[in-house]
Amino acid sequence: MSVTLRYDEEHALLRDEARRWLAVRVTPAELRRLAADPRGDEPALWRELATLGWTGLVIPEAQGGAGLGAVHLAVLAEESGRRLLPSPLLPTLLAAKLIELAGDAAQRERWLPAVARGEAVASIAHVESNGAWEAHATTARLARECITGAKHHVWAAPGAQLLVVPAREGGALRLAVLSTEAGGVALEPEQGVDPSRRTGRVRFEGATCETLTGDAEAAWQAWRPWAWLALAAEMAGGADAALGMTAAYVATRVQFDKPIGSFQAVKHPLVNVLIAVEQLRTLVYAAASALDAGDPEAARLARMAKAAASEAYPFACSRAVQFHGGYGFTEDCDAHLYLRRALASRPALGDGREHRAAIAASLLD
Amino acid sequence: MSEAIDELRARVQEWLLEQLPAAPPFALPQNALTVTSDEQMRWLRDWQARLYDAGFVGAEWPVAYGGRGLGRGAQRAIDQELARAGAPFLVNNVALAWAGPMILHFGTEAQRARFLAKLLRADEIWCQGFSEPGSGSDLASLRTRAVRDGDTYRIEGHKVWTSLGRFADYMILLARTDPNAPKHAGISYFLAPLRIPGVEVRPLVKLTGEGGFNQVIFSDASIPAEALLGREGQGWELATATLSFERGASEGSAGASGMGGAGLEQLIALLRGAPPRVRDDAVVRDRLAALAIEATALRHAGARMRLPGLVADRPQALPLMVKLVGTEHAQRLSELGCEIAGYAGTLWKDPAVQGSGTWPHSYMSSFAGTIAGGTSEILRNVLGERVLGLPKTR
Repeated sequence: MSVTLRYDEEHALLRDEARRWLAVRVTPAELRRLAADPRGDEPALWRELATLGWTGLVIPEAQGGAGLGAVHLAVLAEESGRRLLPSPLLPTLLAAKLIELAGDAAQRERWLPAVARGEAVASIAHVESNGAWEAHATTARLARECITGAKHHVWAAPGAQLLVVPAREGGALRLAVLSTEAGGVALEPEQGVDPSRRTGRVRFEGATCETLTGDAEAAWQAWRPWAWLALAAEMAGGADAALGMTAAYVATRVQFDKPIGSFQAVKHPLVNVLIAVEQLRTLVYAAASALDAGDPEAARLARMAKAAASEAYPFACSRAVQFHGGYGFTEDCDAHLYLRRALASRPALGDGREHRAAIAASLLD
Repeated sequence: MSEAIDELRARVQEWLLEQLPAAPPFALPQNALTVTSDEQMRWLRDWQARLYDAGFVGAEWPVAYGGRGLGRGAQRAIDQELARAGAPFLVNNVALAWAGPMILHFGTEAQRARFLAKLLRADEIWCQGFSEPGSGSDLASLRTRAVRDGDTYRIEGHKVWTSLGRFADYMILLARTDPNAPKHAGISYFLAPLRIPGVEVRPLVKLTGEGGFNQVIFSDASIPAEALLGREGQGWELATATLSFERGASEGSAGASGMGGAGLEQLIALLRGAPPRVRDDAVVRDRLAALAIEATALRHAGARMRLPGLVADRPQALPLMVKLVGTEHAQRLSELGCEIAGYAGTLWKDPAVQGSGTWPHSYMSSFAGTIAGGTSEILRNVLGERVLGLPKTR
């Protein structure tokens, strides 16, 4: 249980670069404009993300990526979360990671370079209509490199060009990758609570796919900590942003001749948000460092990070709306933008309750 | 540097193989705040003196004042080795954590020469005299008076919550030297001798029925003028410096070796032995896991604090959070322990049931953490104001 935390100059440089770029390019005004856009993201933004090298951040160098690790991923996800980046960066990087973990060398070479270059938006279609999200719960069926079934709440659908899909072939779990342009794939946008992250339903009717040749169960187990980590880091960024805007607001909003932030009924809950956010960030970077070190504790730390994020982010946003008062109840206030993302992120990859049940089982059973 | 540290660690380990004392025939207290008997005190003083003589106390302090003049990180490495070996604590902890650093930073040459080596070796025991019956969180309202009289100050007043007071030779004492100045400006800071006429120490009984705390009553006690630390009227500034040591110093107790880890292990053991209706209860499990998550965040907070890039956004947040979060965590944990223990958790040192009373004792004791050294409520004000930039409450 002795994880060594890592955070070097190169991580700080990425943080500063990402923070600067996002502050200029992803403004609340831009988010509101894109919320009304049927596609929901901006092709120009995506091209810039590719130019910055971020679409290949954790893709191996051999496939044209930057080959960087989990701490870099956490840094970029946290900064993206701060500004509610509407581009499908997180699903793309996580889908690429799953292809890397489950595919053989030829498959990595076939699928990953286009993703690294920003030419293919990728995602993972793994959620069942009943909300089950683990690979082993899949009801999709695979036979002779054709997949049949349906997945819901798919990030970046219907814009994605590549999807990774867990499916059963006979009794065995497989992970398949397919192009959404293949015949037999029907994508349909969902109406979601969070316009800054679009999702969709995907129906596969004998769609042509390629089975990744590695051990699907092992690849999924290895992939989950990356996914929990990235999402938890993004949620930490969002929670921190919601906290920051609220602290700034209550420091200046005057009622009863005093800034309302001087009242302990406001101050103390905001400190509770601060504690939740800082504990979350500690867990995120402990998990990231453990992943990079190949530490066996990484999976549990990443699970804990997602569990903490599932509480901290909605909490930070509920206090953001509440402490902005009547203004917080309007569309004009940015608080609801974060609240929407928080509500959409909580169940993704398992909510806090689900993860705590798993942690308790690992401690007791 | 790290080679020197590794060598130092090896030296501590080697020394401990030979010198780690066997448990005494009487029960040792859990920490310096709960020393109650003379035999406990004698034994613990002797242990600290032996550690000091071996070079393991004051490792980073200047040689001129009885330290060893080693580089940064030396004391932490030693402390980690001691903790790993399960070595007894250092009894003169008020001196090591607060009085000593204060004298080192703010004392005169004569004060440093007089006090530092003796406190490192536990030759002289120190206690703290800040709080008063009427001055807790609002410490600056304190009313103990110090009146200059020739070469002396005459002290009149009443201090409470003085751990080690019964055994102490000296006290870091806050007293009002100027009753007409604004309340923060009229306070001075003294290194006051206690073994003098006019000082009476009375034990205080805690809510658990145990001793350990004292009150110290000064009735026209006369202390030498050179007991003043810094200048007259500088007391509040110096007290603030001391309290920052205090909140920082509790890092260890809430961190890796402290209540967090050990407490959680005990809770898990309790739950593993509980009947299925309790052990398999989803609500209980949810609360246990939430505590495990928080304990993990606490355990890694220290490592995070040492990485500048990971605290750049809010440099003060983690150091100021450690005490607040660690103590509230310990309280929630022990309260859940009481609840899980059920009827068994209602017994209190019942001779028929071995080990009974540990959970209620742990829970009741946990309030020392959330009250002493800045209540949780005051610390939330401090965090809100210094870290989130919120306007002052008062």
